[in-house]
Amino acid sequence: MDRFSQVFNEVPLAEVHDLAARRAEEGWRYVQILAVNTEEGIDLVYSYMKDGLLENDTVKAVGADDAVPSITDLFLEAFVCENEIHDLYGVAIENIAIDFGGMFYQLAEKAPMTVVSPEQLAAREKAKKIAAAKAAKEAAAKGEQAAPAAPAAVAGPTEEEIQAKIAGLDPEKAAKVRAAMEAKAKKAAAAAEAAAVPAAPSAALTEEEIQAKIAGLDPEKAAKVRAALEAKAKKAAAAAGKGE
Amino acid sequence: MGKATVIPFGPQHPVLPEPLHLDLVVQDETVVDVLPQIGFVHRGLEKLVETRDYNQFIYIAERICGICATGHSIGYAETVEALMGVEIPKRAEYLRIIWHELSRVHSHLLWLGLAADAFGFESMFMHCWRLRERVLDLFEKTTGGRVILSVVKVGGVVRDIDATQMAEIIAVLDGIKDDYTKIMNTLLTDTSVKNRTVGVGHISTEDARALSMVGPFARASNLPYDVRSFGKGAYGDLADFQPIVATEGDCYARVKVRCLEVLQSIEIIKELAAKMPAGDIEVAVKGAPADGAQASNVLEQPRGECYYYARGNGSKNLERMRIRTPTSQNLAGMTVALKGCDLADVNMIILTIDPCISCTER
Amino acid sequence: MGSFKLGGMTFGSLFKKPETVLYPFETKPAPAGLKGHIVNDVSLCILCGICAKACPADAIVVEKKERTWAIDPFRCVQCGSCVRACPKACLAMDPAYTPIATAQSCTVIEVPDPKATA
Repeated sequence: MDRFSQVFNEVPLAEVHDLAARRAEEGWRYVQILAVNTEEGIDLVYSYMKDGLLENDTVKAVGADDAVPSITDLFLEAFVCENEIHDLYGVAIENIAIDFGGMFYQLAEKAPMTVVSPEQLAAREKAKKIAAAKAAKEAAAKGEQAAPAAPAAVAGPTEEEIQAKIAGLDPEKAAKVRAAMEAKAKKAAAAAEAAAVPAAPSAALTEEEIQAKIAGLDPEKAAKVRAALEAKAKKAAAAAGKGE
Repeated sequence: MGKATVIPFGPQHPVLPEPLHLDLVVQDETVVDVLPQIGFVHRGLEKLVETRDYNQFIYIAERICGICATGHSIGYAETVEALMGVEIPKRAEYLRIIWHELSRVHSHLLWLGLAADAFGFESMFMHCWRLRERVLDLFEKTTGGRVILSVVKVGGVVRDIDATQMAEIIAVLDGIKDDYTKIMNTLLTDTSVKNRTVGVGHISTEDARALSMVGPFARASNLPYDVRSFGKGAYGDLADFQPIVATEGDCYARVKVRCLEVLQSIEIIKELAAKMPAGDIEVAVKGAPADGAQASNVLEQPRGECYYYARGNGSKNLERMRIRTPTSQNLAGMTVALKGCDLADVNMIILTIDPCISCTER
Repeated sequence: MGSFKLGGMTFGSLFKKPETVLYPFETKPAPAGLKGHIVNDVSLCILCGICAKACPADAIVVEKKERTWAIDPFRCVQCGSCVRACPKACLAMDPAYTPIATAQSCTVIEVPDPKATA
């Protein structure tokens, strides 16, 4: 009895057809072709199987104007997947044996539907920018560490921090979180002003506050938020300590 | 030879429960060319993976198709478990396979009823669906659902089958087996059934291999390919598993293979029930699939091999989920089988392939 | 006798109890754990909103300020995710199916404030 196992390989686009020919000769079964939308382009995964070994050959980052050779001359049954990838992803596949010319799926929208929607793309770009900004800020913060008591830390979350936290969330939740954080920022600022001498309250966040904040979030996010808040509380305490 | 005429077949056709359209190029009464067309029920379910986290998507996966629901949820869960390196308890594997094989029994009985109805054997249709109802009642008792079971989750299953329920399953299956054997013998020896099916829509073993056909369609052409024989999960503990094959490659062989697979599934369930290990039925799955991690998986659905692919992106939502269903693989074989057949045999050939269009389009 | 092979079975069914029931005058008894609809035991509910997050169909809406817990039975897919996710075990699956209706509706439940009553 053959056991099931799987392998992922990478192949250049030019070798797709030759590889299919070799596989056909060696008696592999065609399994499927799939497309994945990535930022660099579209990844095509060709799967073949022989005696329980499933090989997935990945062609990375196929561009919009790259012509992909069809393998339907070797594996006729691939016409379903190839037409689908042409219709839904807009990949130009040449010489499909049964070519529907974009009419395989009777869709209301004629344009190929990409998997990355504009909103997602925007969200991803924003997340990337924020990550970069955060990294820069961290680097800067490290440099500043020797400097006395960063007042921003006591003043609670800043605009950038709010932004960073919101990035991954959906709009309505984002609005809520933003409101909560701004309220906290105000509170922290007030606390810092009112009680500068006793260090403890100015340490920004107490355990209860963290709890209150976490309540509405799901566990994984909660863990992250908790870590972030605790780090902030420590920082604030350190700052207050230095201030004295 | 007469003039070639194009006859549209479907998407609304009495023999098809689902919308499949064929352009049949007909000369006299003979089909000379076939162009299949799908895309009437494309729902974009694969794209929904971006808006639902990987625990929630399992409920979408099982709604791809009503008949293969259990199979899709198991296939999806196994793929995500492979993606995240989760190993599920043995008992959960057994329970999954028991439900999966029960759904194979119900799927084949449903198909058998439809096929009998298609060639005018209506009392057979009633008998098959009567037996299928008992399987659905078993689902209802063990999972709380009749068609969409929602019983599999990433990391195991949500409900256990205790010993009394297991005994009931076995008793009901024994009852089904008695009645079913009578039905099956009638169907396979009946002259009028043979007249409709023997020698119709023939596919040779070479063609079946060259067209990478899967499932009972391939096995009827003497291609012994069955994903269950790889011994994944609880299938590995079966004493002996031999795919059921037939050599004729015609409609009759396909009917025969499916008929015998029902009995085989019943035997598998009984064997697994006897070997059922004790223990947990789930493990906790924490975290999210790593960015760029990918996993693929195959599973034997009632209609044949089904391929699953998942790619993570570091968040709780998967980057891509792909399901390649058995019917999509068999469409090319179907066009080959239809070429050269009589126009009156087209519906019989299509039915014996058992196309599942909702699955194919997702 | 090539054409009357199912005869025995068909003849036997004349004398057997029918396999069907006279719905709607008779109904089959609901087995334990049948997935009908979700019920919320409001005395335990803390309005944490975990059920709403677990729901794959976005059928549950929790308003903490108004102290309401709402479920749209026409969106609910009876998967039971919320029942498993509930930290207070106040949610349960009831075997009665949601009755058919001419208009979609939402079941809104007021959750009493334990502090106010105490």
